[in-house]
Amino acid sequence: MAANIAGRRYRTCYARLLRLYPRPFRERFGESMAQTFQDLCREHEEAGRGLFGFALWIFCETLAGIVRENILRMDQLGKTVLRAALVALGLLMAPLVASQVVEGWNWPAKAFVFVYVLFFGTALAYGLIAKRMNAWAYKAGVGLALVTGFALGWSNMVHVADSENPANLVYFGVLVVGGVGAWLARLKAPGLARTLFAMAVTLAGIAVILPSGAPPVLARNMAIGHAVFVALFTASGLLFRHASSAELPK
Amino acid sequence: MKKTAPAPLTPAVLHILLALSTGERHGYGIMKQVQADSQGRTKMGPGTLYGSIGRMMEAGLIRESVKRVDPEMDGERRIYYQLTGAGRAALQAELTRYRGVVALAEGRLAHGR
Repeated sequence: MAANIAGRRYRTCYARLLRLYPRPFRERFGESMAQTFQDLCREHEEAGRGLFGFALWIFCETLAGIVRENILRMDQLGKTVLRAALVALGLLMAPLVASQVVEGWNWPAKAFVFVYVLFFGTALAYGLIAKRMNAWAYKAGVGLALVTGFALGWSNMVHVADSENPANLVYFGVLVVGGVGAWLARLKAPGLARTLFAMAVTLAGIAVILPSGAPPVLARNMAIGHAVFVALFTASGLLFRHASSAELPK
Repeated sequence: MKKTAPAPLTPAVLHILLALSTGERHGYGIMKQVQADSQGRTKMGPGTLYGSIGRMMEAGLIRESVKRVDPEMDGERRIYYQLTGAGRAALQAELTRYRGVVALAEGRLAHGR
């Protein structure tokens, strides 16, 4: 009797799970799959075997099938979004694991959600922009520019939160220059090269003009940090310049 | 034009073709036959089975047969699947490929002795 109730409950859940298949697949095989699951449940019940482990395996196996069928039917944009979501999930593992092993790393849940959105946005931007050109230099330039921009935005956000000095918000101006430049360049390599050089110059200018007020050791570290970011933006600009020379007719 | 060799079949497709080689079966029947053919070593769930069936039907290896009641089971009607000529040829080609691999492996092992 109890097995019957459990079996009925599993069958209901399985029917709900099948709704996650793409519609054409579901319409073609949904009924047969539900019937097969029912046959398997009956076989287990008649053999007096427990249903939980069996149902768990079937649900996982069917879930894998659902993911596979949905990916197969996705268009290129859907695949890019899915890839970005999975990459962001993979990257999120780093702070997630760190919060478990590093003492004092106590992020609230909303911080993880925020970081995931940032990772996802960056990965999606790479997926959408990098495919505009086949040249490796263009793809590398996009990757380097996004990672450097992400790191600058992130470190500045942390710095603003720690120092509570609103003057540091001026660093976000570098990202604004990047965004406007990329829009004006229509994501073409020559324009992006100029944009990245402009970002490097803007950052160097801010570093020189903005008084840090920090003790000498910290000021030296900040200068090194600025130099690294300037170098990375410049390297990205050079990659775009290389890509634009490859774009020219021979 | 050079004729290219057919690509190796996936284990799931090979098992389904083998299960249907002796006659038409419904989904549960295919699962049971695969389990029997592999002496319980291969367990195929509905996700793999119907995903493979869909792709095999698109490739023309199998087709749907009539929907009917299985006398050995309950009174529900089930969709049966059967091999097509292309499916039988694909199975034959795979077995020929296997024979080639076995002959090569046996030859190498004999030389290694």
